[in-house]
Amino acid sequence: MSDTQTPSVDTVTITIDGKEVKVAKGTNVLEAAKSIGIDISAFCYHPGLSIAACCRQCLVTVEKAPKLQPSCQTTVADGMVVQTKDAQSTLARKQMLEFTLLNHPVDCPICDKAGECTLQRLYFDHDNARSRLDVPKVHKPKVVDLGPQIVLDAERCILCTRCIRVCDEVAHEHQLEMRNRGDHEELGTAPGAVLDNPYSMNTVDVCPVGALTAKDFRFTMRAWELELTPSVCNGCATGCNIEIHHKNERTWRLIPRHNPAVNDYWMCDEGRLTYHELRERRLAGAVLGGLPSSWDRALAAAASKLETVLTTDKGRVGVVLSAQHSNEDNYVLSKLARNIWQLERIYLGGKAPAPERADDILRDADVNPNTAGVKAIAAAGGYELLGIDRLEKDLADGTLAALVVLGHELPLSAAALEQAKNLDALVVLAHREVGIAASAHVLLPVAAWAEVHATITNRKGLVQRMQAAYPPPGQALPAWEAVTRLGQACKAALGYTHPKNIFTEMVAAVKPFAGADWGKTARPTQLRFAGSRG
Amino acid sequence: MAELKEYVLGRKNIEDLDNADLQEIPNELMTVNMGPSHPAMHGTVRVVLTVDGERIVKSDVQPGYLHRCFEKESEHATYTQIFPYTDRLNYVSPMINNVGFAMAVEKLLGMEKRLPERAQYIRVLVSEVSRLTDHLTCIGASAMELGAFTVFLYALKAREWFYSLLEELSGARLTHSYVRVGGVVKDLTPDFTTKLTELLEKTEGVIDEVEGLLNNNKIFRNRMEGVGGMDAKEAIAWGCTGPILRASGVDYDVRKDFPYLVYDRFEFDVPVGTSGDCLDRYLVRVEEMRQSIRILRQAMAQLPDGPVMIDDPRVALPEKSEAYNTIEGMIRHFKHIVDGIRVPPGEAYTFVEGGNGELGFFIKSDGTGRPYKCYVRSPSFIALQTVSELIQGHLISDVVPIFGMINMIGGECDK
Repeated sequence: MSDTQTPSVDTVTITIDGKEVKVAKGTNVLEAAKSIGIDISAFCYHPGLSIAACCRQCLVTVEKAPKLQPSCQTTVADGMVVQTKDAQSTLARKQMLEFTLLNHPVDCPICDKAGECTLQRLYFDHDNARSRLDVPKVHKPKVVDLGPQIVLDAERCILCTRCIRVCDEVAHEHQLEMRNRGDHEELGTAPGAVLDNPYSMNTVDVCPVGALTAKDFRFTMRAWELELTPSVCNGCATGCNIEIHHKNERTWRLIPRHNPAVNDYWMCDEGRLTYHELRERRLAGAVLGGLPSSWDRALAAAASKLETVLTTDKGRVGVVLSAQHSNEDNYVLSKLARNIWQLERIYLGGKAPAPERADDILRDADVNPNTAGVKAIAAAGGYELLGIDRLEKDLADGTLAALVVLGHELPLSAAALEQAKNLDALVVLAHREVGIAASAHVLLPVAAWAEVHATITNRKGLVQRMQAAYPPPGQALPAWEAVTRLGQACKAALGYTHPKNIFTEMVAAVKPFAGADWGKTARPTQLRFAGSRG
Repeated sequence: MAELKEYVLGRKNIEDLDNADLQEIPNELMTVNMGPSHPAMHGTVRVVLTVDGERIVKSDVQPGYLHRCFEKESEHATYTQIFPYTDRLNYVSPMINNVGFAMAVEKLLGMEKRLPERAQYIRVLVSEVSRLTDHLTCIGASAMELGAFTVFLYALKAREWFYSLLEELSGARLTHSYVRVGGVVKDLTPDFTTKLTELLEKTEGVIDEVEGLLNNNKIFRNRMEGVGGMDAKEAIAWGCTGPILRASGVDYDVRKDFPYLVYDRFEFDVPVGTSGDCLDRYLVRVEEMRQSIRILRQAMAQLPDGPVMIDDPRVALPEKSEAYNTIEGMIRHFKHIVDGIRVPPGEAYTFVEGGNGELGFFIKSDGTGRPYKCYVRSPSFIALQTVSELIQGHLISDVVPIFGMINMIGGECDK
């Protein structure tokens, strides 16, 4: 910042509330203010969307400009002097809020947005005045079904148009529009359209009030009672960054977390709803021959069955890694299968690809979160992963005698599933009792993705950290720990105690993971005190 | 009598003991636990005494049996939610704790000079009533521990009058949570002053009775006079405040020296002792009750009309009708309850004259609805550290009056 330094052409210096700030050319005043900790109130502005400047909440005084300027639309210019706390802009904020609240219904106690509502926050911080309304409020439709996921309460809407822009600019589908004028202006679907794009639930996130609510989350849980834990979506290979919102060891919704390298501010509806599986047909204890069992008994049974085949006929033992499971889980199982048991038949399991869902926005045809990771681990181990067709064939021709499977997702044909039952040993480590897990001789309960500290590798090869929101149900253990115990029961020298140790060893061994960082372990934060939302 | 001696010393009368017998008398030190389950230990403190016969050689005072993490819990509660916690500090004078905490938050909000007059007067009224209940409990209980059970009954009878009065006012007999940031939660009941006037007169009678029973009572004086003395220099060095410091002859009272609320408008005296022993502490407390009655009478005479809550939307809840019928009132109510009062970042320390001395609250705010740190300077905790020194060399029986007159309150000491 010395005087001799020539000013860069790419940055401009402006003064906001007496503080000088250097920002990149083309930045708007609102973002420039945010960079020095001045939070200018706004409804319609969203950093991930185009600028509408229709809410007029962000008006500020710019010196030499004849009128107040919307700070979201005003681009910084060298030497610009901005006041955000002078009498004029303070009054403008107050008056805009009074306008916005005029026809707002008294809905906070029944509104899903209460507690994370921008309108609540801005009113409390900037206005806090009494109502002066002495005429009846304008009423609008309360329950408008906009599409398969979204319900509109037109009264609550403050007409910021964020939702319209989300559909237009993120989903590239024009499905929402404003109609009428003045205090009769109302949001609705565009002629002939329904709000059914695969990114429609982003409209709920960007809605600054409770006008748009997700059918999935409506009336289920008060927002301020939730806790949030950062994680990564396990719905497909994109690996959108998410926040798990949970309470009492149960997930209530998934919300996208900003990451410009992966998903920006968005995620798809399908990904949001993946949390339901965290509670459906969950496995809380080991199962031995279809009956509940203890860990010790199940492990002993698995070990005795496997050891017989391993000592007599090693070539007929197979292991299935899972693209549904984390790097750590697969690394430990790969190590057991390859380095210790020295097996040849290592397959890759996971959901079958769904090419119809792929688009060039966020959704990927590969509905497994960690295919890239498992492939990298196999490549580093110097072996080739065999596909599902090969597994079908090996089951059909009786090549296999024993199989250890990670994860319940294995798109086998009904015949192959039947054949798997007739193996000498079928040991499955899964968190749900469905698919191959339902046919297992020995079924070991493992933690699901929301319950583990682990990493997954997305389609671009980015290794991303997931955080455990709450402990797994019952006696379930993280899969790496279950594999370790299984190995120990088979007298294999395997001794991991913490996923970070596995991660460190793995990053050193698997070249594509080099430079990946375990990061800090996050503790769940109370949404009420998180401060960022609303 | 001879039989008793024999029993005590083992088969021989004391006159008949010879040298060989003296060897047999147990003379090594003995360690005795006094409390936490001991009637004179206020239920919540353990004193490990090392005694040589009846004489205390060494003692180890161990508080913590009533630790409730007041300070840590405060970091997880909104400013309004902390009031019930403060009730449980010195639970025989909860109103003073309420007032002290509210004043710290108000200082952070910069509104301490703008409080409605009536609210300030009400705060003085309830504080002084609380001081009466505190001192009545202290004197009554201590006298009982020395055998004067009648005094206990008289004092507690008067205390109960005041508890009933405060229950009428706040809805709770003990844990009032009556004060709020910016004022008090509701106005006085219509006949509060009438009832209080009546009670004060009756209480003066009770104080006379108590004094009549104790002041020239030989047993009482023998056990109090010259016991547990502390001179002014020592008391200041220990950091003692309140009746203990004043009994040692130091004229220091927060209400006089750093007047808060409207205390500078009242005429009252600060009683001081001369020798700083247990009797002086008792006498100071009795006189303080009389002074409190004086303050209460003046406060009732001056009590102005007006609102009892500051008209500032940052701290005042909206009227119920507003909260139900307007979105503005609804949001304000919602934000106050869920997020808490928004207190600007900063630090503040305020102190008031509590029942046992200077009660201070330090709050550091980070701009959210709950304190980043809340520290309480509890007079009991500071007074308790002197106990071990004061009882050194005294008899076990002296622990009772000394401890009683230190008036350690578990809730406040353990925080």
